[in-house]
Amino acid sequence: MSITRRVFLKNGALAIVGTSVVPSFLTRAVYAAETAAPGAKRLIVLFQRGAADGLNIVVPHGEQAYYNMRPSIAIPRQSVLDLDGFFGLHPSMSAFKPLWDQKHLAIVHAAGSPDNTRSHFDAQDYMESGTPGVKSTEDGWLNRAIAGVKEPEASPFRAVAMGGALPRTLAGSVPAVAMSDIRAFAVGGRGPKASVASNTFEAMYEQSVDSVLHGTGNETFEAVKMLRSADPEKYSPAVGANYPNGRFGDSLRQVAQLVKANLGVEVAFADIGGWDHHVNEGNVQGQIANLTREFSQSIAALWTDLGDLAENTVVVTMSEFGRTARENGNRGTDHGHANVMFVLGGPVKGGRMYGRWPGLQPEQLYEGRDLAVTTDFRQVLSESVANHLGNKNLAKVFPGFDKSTPKDFLKYLG
Amino acid sequence: MPAARKPLILLGLILLMSTAVLFAIDKKSKAKHADSTASAVAPPMEDDKRIVHALNRFTFGVRPGDVDRVKAEGLDKWFDEQLHPEKIDDGALESRLAPFRTLKMSTKEMVENFPPPQVLKAIENGRMSMPRDPAKKAVYESRMAAYQQRQQNKEDKAAAGNAAVADPEMSAAKAQPAVVTQSVGDQKDASQEVSAGNEPAPTAEQRKQQKQREDAMYADLDTDRLLKLPPDDRYKAILKMPVEERLDLAKTYKGPRAMQLVDDMKPEQRETVEAMIQPQAVLGELAEAKLLRAIYSNRQLDEVMTDFWFNHFNVFIGKGPDRYMVSAYERDVIRPHALGKFKDILAATAKSPAMLFYLDNWQSVGPHSELALYGPQRFAGRRGRFPRPRPQQAKNRPSGLNENYAREIMELHTLGVDGGYTQKDVTELAKVLTGWTIERPQLGGEFKFNERAHEPGAKYVLGRKIGEHGEKEGEEMLDVLAHHPSTAKFISRKLAMRFVSDNPPQALVDRMAETFLKKDGDIREVLRTMFHSPEFWAADAYRAKMKTPFEFVASAARASGADIQNALPLVATLNRMGMPLYAMQPPTGYSMKAEAWVNSSALLNRMNFALQLASGRLPGTSLDPQALIPGPAPADPQAALAALEQSILAGDVSSQTHAVMQKQLGDPQISQRKLDDADKKPNYGAIAGLIMGSPEFQRR
Repeated sequence: MSITRRVFLKNGALAIVGTSVVPSFLTRAVYAAETAAPGAKRLIVLFQRGAADGLNIVVPHGEQAYYNMRPSIAIPRQSVLDLDGFFGLHPSMSAFKPLWDQKHLAIVHAAGSPDNTRSHFDAQDYMESGTPGVKSTEDGWLNRAIAGVKEPEASPFRAVAMGGALPRTLAGSVPAVAMSDIRAFAVGGRGPKASVASNTFEAMYEQSVDSVLHGTGNETFEAVKMLRSADPEKYSPAVGANYPNGRFGDSLRQVAQLVKANLGVEVAFADIGGWDHHVNEGNVQGQIANLTREFSQSIAALWTDLGDLAENTVVVTMSEFGRTARENGNRGTDHGHANVMFVLGGPVKGGRMYGRWPGLQPEQLYEGRDLAVTTDFRQVLSESVANHLGNKNLAKVFPGFDKSTPKDFLKYLG
Repeated sequence: MPAARKPLILLGLILLMSTAVLFAIDKKSKAKHADSTASAVAPPMEDDKRIVHALNRFTFGVRPGDVDRVKAEGLDKWFDEQLHPEKIDDGALESRLAPFRTLKMSTKEMVENFPPPQVLKAIENGRMSMPRDPAKKAVYESRMAAYQQRQQNKEDKAAAGNAAVADPEMSAAKAQPAVVTQSVGDQKDASQEVSAGNEPAPTAEQRKQQKQREDAMYADLDTDRLLKLPPDDRYKAILKMPVEERLDLAKTYKGPRAMQLVDDMKPEQRETVEAMIQPQAVLGELAEAKLLRAIYSNRQLDEVMTDFWFNHFNVFIGKGPDRYMVSAYERDVIRPHALGKFKDILAATAKSPAMLFYLDNWQSVGPHSELALYGPQRFAGRRGRFPRPRPQQAKNRPSGLNENYAREIMELHTLGVDGGYTQKDVTELAKVLTGWTIERPQLGGEFKFNERAHEPGAKYVLGRKIGEHGEKEGEEMLDVLAHHPSTAKFISRKLAMRFVSDNPPQALVDRMAETFLKKDGDIREVLRTMFHSPEFWAADAYRAKMKTPFEFVASAARASGADIQNALPLVATLNRMGMPLYAMQPPTGYSMKAEAWVNSSALLNRMNFALQLASGRLPGTSLDPQALIPGPAPADPQAALAALEQSILAGDVSSQTHAVMQKQLGDPQISQRKLDDADKKPNYGAIAGLIMGSPEFQRR
């Protein structure tokens, strides 16, 4: 479907400009205004590394057990931003409240991985590969989510990650781009004009008989030109999009920039670390408050910045596992099990909680200590992959997962 | 449609289909035929390419003059020599590595010299005591103060609220080594600190650094005086400083600036200072050493094979105490067996703390073992040294089988995923290996067999009964796996993938596997078989392999003849290229296939690195572009291009690439016709950078 759309666009543009050597980035730019909104769907995945404390992020304030188990780090009932009378947001996440009220933000509580590992390393690996318990998976689910649909004209920016290295979740057959600073995505220095070296390499790869490098070289230089034409130096976010200082805010600002430049971004990935609060986690104030503030303000800024494009965007957040229901001896929490996932987006039926709450009574806790997983994280992701990105081949995206049929969906996309 | 025409159409269809099927069968049988006789059919490469090919495959890249040297010695003789690294002198490399003292330390010494938080905590709680040696004591005091400051910061932050977000210092100290850029802790990207120029990012981090610099103005005045001292006095002055002052020093001299502080100090002095103010730097020595070895060692095949086996038996340096274990792992477990027998390297990895920790076997406990049934032994009366497990520890105490390692041994280390084992075999092998553990992994302990964690009873693996005899059970099974026909094939295929092509000819793999089985898994013999096979010398094998980022960086450094005084910028380059050394998380190791490494950002990084290196802009590396050309340097750009193509690509460059570069020679940036330059020498560095970024140089 998208192939025909692109081919049509390309031909249309050619007719307008009247030459056969128009690079395809230009044809895209010509149609930017029209192509941006319809059709193109995007999934943005955000990873909270270090195991975020979901119970202090979306607080089950209607559950007395929560307060009993966390004498010093619980969020008092009068402080939470109530959502539905039982759950409430951490008070420093006020940036999320309007999104909830406008029904763009859905929350899945007690979600997680069925694997019981409490190792950050293994759990992140499993969540990124999308195959809990299977270590030898070489590619990531987010790459598989857009694999298979072979588009000769596919954008080099189909899959992007903010950061120095390509994350595990984007490893795979679809070419993916990792960058920590989009202004540095150039050869021989940045600037409005290509360097001599850049032009030389471009010609070299363009004319190379090495089929693999020829193809990738062309893609690369097309990408470089696309970015240059998008003029990253001049970018200023939309009014009201106030990204907080820090790496996460920077990442999301650049994600928005790429999406708005109409570069064909289908999936994007960014992460935020520092959630491993074993000591002095804090409550209304403190470490968790600071981090949730940065987290929610960045995402809210992204949402505002995307403007109309947010309509075709779904943002999903995840963290490798949750934390112990009880606070530990250091006013912190240890590695636990289930966690909370946020789903934000135009097509999302937000303003309500999804999933089943397992409860915090001792006998309801997983292994007597952690929030139990009632929704597999892949159930949440499957729905976005199938019904938003349109990849129905979920058996390939989440091999070995038997709960990825439409009847297992939470139906947060309707 | 008239009824009569239907059968006709049908008939036509059937006919068409059957021809198609026939055609397909024909094609298939032809393909099969071609495959089985591949060795006889595939045309060999031209003679003058053989030496370049061999150098490309058995070394980390061709250096200027290498081809002539091998030609003079004789290819066969050279290969034989490479198979016996112990006979090759490597003095020049040794002296380059001499300053890296951690390379010679045991894991225990590493833990002692660079105390991890666990040790500091133990001292704080009085469970361990401060070292007496004054230098060591100074290190401990500094780390302890830093540790306590972090704890204090955490409390302050917890109390304060609105301040900035999580402390990057803290996450850096969270057992994440400098090479790991993305993991639990994240935040601090070592590559940004070290790399100069290429990675612009006026980010929050930089703004923060700027502020710190301003804050440190006064401190700077003092420390500048410190910098002027001769190294020995400087060292003594730092040791004499009060701990708080030393901590301030650490804040002022971060990243590359810390190098000035330790400039010209003796290795152990440098190490002491770094251990005090920047412990990650010392732990990064391993990655630096890996690059220096690949670039400068004369024992190239030994390096290639050490890299191969490390990757095959991959361990992730970022997983907890593995950061202290990996150095010893490579040195004592992998390297000695790189060209030895497979059974030996398999057995050595199985008993290495690094592997046991990485794949969790150290906490695998037999469900019917004494440990599972009765809990840990009590040490009555010695509570001081062996504290009772705190309730929390008890809860976290491993109490069951962990199949992780058992699975990976069969899937990744020996038989291969299709090697003919079942889930039952995995579980049984896991039982066999229960009790293979580590004595106090956080403190640098060694392998130990813990009888109390070992699952009693007989086990059945791969249709074989393993009677109950403790540690011997595992040794027996490892020997069985090491000699299994599936293992012979799996290892041979992987070797052929490294040395021949991404999809090596089956006939070659079979032949290598035969040698593997016949010669007791002798890797040297398997490589010899490969070297003497026509498939290795087939024309289509020439430059068939795409270089991994590591191979690319090493080969560029070799081709350029660069003198690398500080390899950290190269380490950072590999982080950016997505191949951080010793930091591959999954046990699969890095892929050797082209598709894993060819993508837009990777290509850009390669081109930029080539330009940076060849133009002499890489920090810590000096390079004389004129030295790239043997003999007198030509003043004519055309001649310079030809000479550089000869030197970097053995003269084997495509007409397309050559034509493109030729066209650019007129550009002033490349011809460098400076007005005041009487010789009007071409810019060799610029040309060399283009050649090293060319498609040809991405392959080996």
